[in-house]
Amino acid sequence: MDTEGMVERATRPARVSEPFIGLAGVEKTYRMGRLDYPALRGIDLEIGAGELVAVVGPSGSGKTTILNLVAGIDRPTAGTVTVGGRRIDLMSEEELAVWRGEHVGVVFQFFQLLPTLSALENAVLPLDFARRGSKRERFEHARRNLALVGLGDKADHLPAELSGGEQQRVAIARALAADPQLIVGDEPTGNLDTVTAAEMFELFKRLNEQGKTVLYVTHDRELAARAHRVVAIRDGVVVAA
Amino acid sequence: MVSSLLRKSISDLSRRRSRTFFAVATLALAVASLGLFATPALMNRAMSAEVTADRLPDLTISMRPLVLDQAQLSALAAVPNVRAVEPRSLFGGRVYVGARRAFAQVLGIPDFTRQAVNVVHVASGVAPGTGVVLTDAQNARQGLLSVHAGQTVRIIAADGAVRSLRVSGEGRNLDGGQTVASDSVIVLYATPATVASLSRTPGYDELFFTLGDTRPAAVNTTIAAIRHTLAAVPGFAGFSDLPQVRAAGDWPGKSGFQNASKFLYVITLLALLSALVLISNTVTTLVAEQTSEIGIMKAVGGRRRQIAAVYLKTAVLLGGLGATAGIVLGAVIAFVLTRYLGSTLFAVGVGFGIDWPIVIISALVGLLGPPLAALPAIRRAVRVPLRDALQATGSAVGGQDAGDRLLGRVRFLPRTAQIGLRNAGRRRRRSLSTSLVIALAVGTLLAVLGLATAVANASRGSWADHGEDVKIVPVGGRLLDASAAALIRATPGVATVDPMFVTDVKLDGKDAKIWAVQQATVFHYRIAAGRWFTRAEEQTRAHVAIIESDIAQTTGARLGHSIIVQTASGPASFRVIGISPQQQENGTTLFVPLTTMHALLTSRPADANEYWVQTTSPDHAFIDRTTTRIEDTLTAHGYDVNSEVVYVKLANEIASNSTKTTMLAAVGLLVVAISMAGLANALTMSVLERTREIGILRSIGARARDIRRIFATETLTLATAGWLIAVPLGYVLDRFLVWLLNNVLNLSITVSFPAWNLALSLAGTILLALLITLVPIRRATHLRPGDALRYA
Repeated sequence: MDTEGMVERATRPARVSEPFIGLAGVEKTYRMGRLDYPALRGIDLEIGAGELVAVVGPSGSGKTTILNLVAGIDRPTAGTVTVGGRRIDLMSEEELAVWRGEHVGVVFQFFQLLPTLSALENAVLPLDFARRGSKRERFEHARRNLALVGLGDKADHLPAELSGGEQQRVAIARALAADPQLIVGDEPTGNLDTVTAAEMFELFKRLNEQGKTVLYVTHDRELAARAHRVVAIRDGVVVAA
Repeated sequence: MVSSLLRKSISDLSRRRSRTFFAVATLALAVASLGLFATPALMNRAMSAEVTADRLPDLTISMRPLVLDQAQLSALAAVPNVRAVEPRSLFGGRVYVGARRAFAQVLGIPDFTRQAVNVVHVASGVAPGTGVVLTDAQNARQGLLSVHAGQTVRIIAADGAVRSLRVSGEGRNLDGGQTVASDSVIVLYATPATVASLSRTPGYDELFFTLGDTRPAAVNTTIAAIRHTLAAVPGFAGFSDLPQVRAAGDWPGKSGFQNASKFLYVITLLALLSALVLISNTVTTLVAEQTSEIGIMKAVGGRRRQIAAVYLKTAVLLGGLGATAGIVLGAVIAFVLTRYLGSTLFAVGVGFGIDWPIVIISALVGLLGPPLAALPAIRRAVRVPLRDALQATGSAVGGQDAGDRLLGRVRFLPRTAQIGLRNAGRRRRRSLSTSLVIALAVGTLLAVLGLATAVANASRGSWADHGEDVKIVPVGGRLLDASAAALIRATPGVATVDPMFVTDVKLDGKDAKIWAVQQATVFHYRIAAGRWFTRAEEQTRAHVAIIESDIAQTTGARLGHSIIVQTASGPASFRVIGISPQQQENGTTLFVPLTTMHALLTSRPADANEYWVQTTSPDHAFIDRTTTRIEDTLTAHGYDVNSEVVYVKLANEIASNSTKTTMLAAVGLLVVAISMAGLANALTMSVLERTREIGILRSIGARARDIRRIFATETLTLATAGWLIAVPLGYVLDRFLVWLLNNVLNLSITVSFPAWNLALSLAGTILLALLITLVPIRRATHLRPGDALRYA
């Protein structure tokens, strides 16, 4: 990887004995009509708790697939996926949904907010699904998260009334709703200008410094270089980790 | 090799199979509903075949019993313009149905194997010999008399003796069957010898003719020639009734059937309207979600007309599939309905038939409906600016206008329900169309149920005014005098005897009836304005009248006015002292003192042509036994009477009305089917559009029940909105159907729109909506998040 001009890389935390995220012999094949497409061809990967990891690679290399497997959004065709000591590849869809709501915060490239809910309502949604605390407590928590991402004054705005950067901040506030141990982002800054993208990354970095494990896919070399570690994927296999 | 544009038109249908399925199903139901218009033509065809098979007469002559030998019958057959002649003897009396007696006709057929006109077919069993009868198939179907071959029927002969006649089987005849259905008279077929043994009078009472030329002038000439030929027969005393001429193409019950068909058309048009709204919905959504693809086609050089043609072809393909399925379904529906009606109303078997004009119209509607419905949406879509089109996601954003803000204020519901409610407001036009279609279905059912209630209420209301349990009516024109009244009063089980005189009159040129009654009558009269007549007015035979409000309205008669009534004895003047809101004789009745009528008609003071009798017990079996005793007593004293038992008349009327309204309700279910297909379609489209959103929700912790609740709320919102629109719509439709009934069938029904129907329809709508959307909701909950997020 070209390190010239790289910004300062984050300090990697001390490694504990058990990895927080473990992929062992993971394969993933998608069925596209009559064709089978092997997105991952046998991945072995370990990520420690509190790490800030960037996943890079060309389009179609399997980056998003890894993220989806770690977040329980997809299931491996073969191999095992362990997160926080739990084999998530063995969980049912319902168990995965509950687990995600409590342990994972997902940030998508295109924000993916519900258009009919306000910023505050979008931010509180995972807590509503987890039925955690009273309604008042949930809203207070969501307001704090919105304030954390700098949108405390736009809680009642609809997504259509916010800029791209503001929408992504709401998405991050939503991802933080259940105070998860793991944050995954699929090109979280891909739809933002460079200034806003940099601001977004600072947010991720702050969350990581608070102890959260952050895993993100990016095409941005500079952003990738600022991670503790870069995992490079090509043609469904890890070429550097 | 197929062009890429044509391939796109075809593949757009196969892309979203469930949506295509529902759209085709909806269109098929719409086209099938047009098949109902074929019912009158198919019935006409079937009945015409029956008319031919039955050799229904063109001319019927009624006369006093006349003995005719073969030579005399041959002479009648030889009359110019006569193709064939068939004589028949007739006995009118009563048969026992349990303990009760009912009116019956026994028709004597000379030779069952060689009937020339008005054929009675032996449907089951064997033709009767002497002392044996055949029961008409309609007797059992109409619930008047249910007997089988081998059983016996007890008939009261003219001399009062009861004869037991064995039943040899079941017969079928259009004329006889219609008599059973329309007059509620039991019809039996026998030999002339059997009839003569019952009537004690040999000879034929009716002559049936088929003619060569049925034009009026030729028929009149033929009638004159027949009369001339019969004049040479000893004992001929002239015709006893006007000769009945059957118009070409007519069959018994045709006009009633055609009138009833008008109601069918109203419901069918509603079904068609519902379906067209849904088709428009579906095609509009199909086009709207392809805005970005339209942008791509524009970007690579596609012109508006070329792009529009792609989607018009898709719509035509959709129409072709729907029309094909619909034509087949419509033919089946029309056949099943015609067969049911033929069997129920006319005891006629109907074979499968196709009404080609309706098939052609169905094909045109099916093929042209979808592209016409799609035109506005296509027009809008091809005019979207290229940049906007390329950025479109196909899913409504929503959340920004006043309606959305209003929905956003509903915060007391759980979050998932809030999401579902707001989703219903996102595709405003589609949600409104779906709710409108539900409204059409529920409104139609409310109207039909309201009509059924109104008709039943009218029947009950009309009969509730009757204080009598039995009506005794003299046969043959001889009035019942004071002796008859005394005999009735002395009969065990009789509580009250109320003499009445009912006669036809004209008021202001309009047909009316006078009910001449006693001041203290058993009839439960009601006064809306003015008063009933007093005892003094009864004693002085005052010319006073209480008139029903309907005829008061049509003639302009008011309280205190003098009216001139044309009676059998000439014009008579009456002062209107009261207006009644009742609906006896369809609201055309005038109530006057019986003494006044006696004075007008110069008959004996105690004469009556009806006696209304109250029994000492309301028990039906008790009423039957008392009626039998009254008839036996009067017959033994030389009075020839018939009886009408009120509870039987009421039950028959309600059953008859119930059959008609049930048929309407069954057709109304077609509209319900279309609306439910539309609802399933709308929700399927909603799930498809929000597949990625479902993936997101599942990614952030939503469980299956949360997804279920979101879409169930959307379903309930659409269903409830539909019901709310249905209530006023159903009321308006109910009023229209009652107006149609009153004007087509000359009835006087009042609109009824019971509140319990509203509650029932709301519960039914919600339940059915949730049931019908089980499949699309299940699909939503079973989506894997990864697949949902990748959905394109």
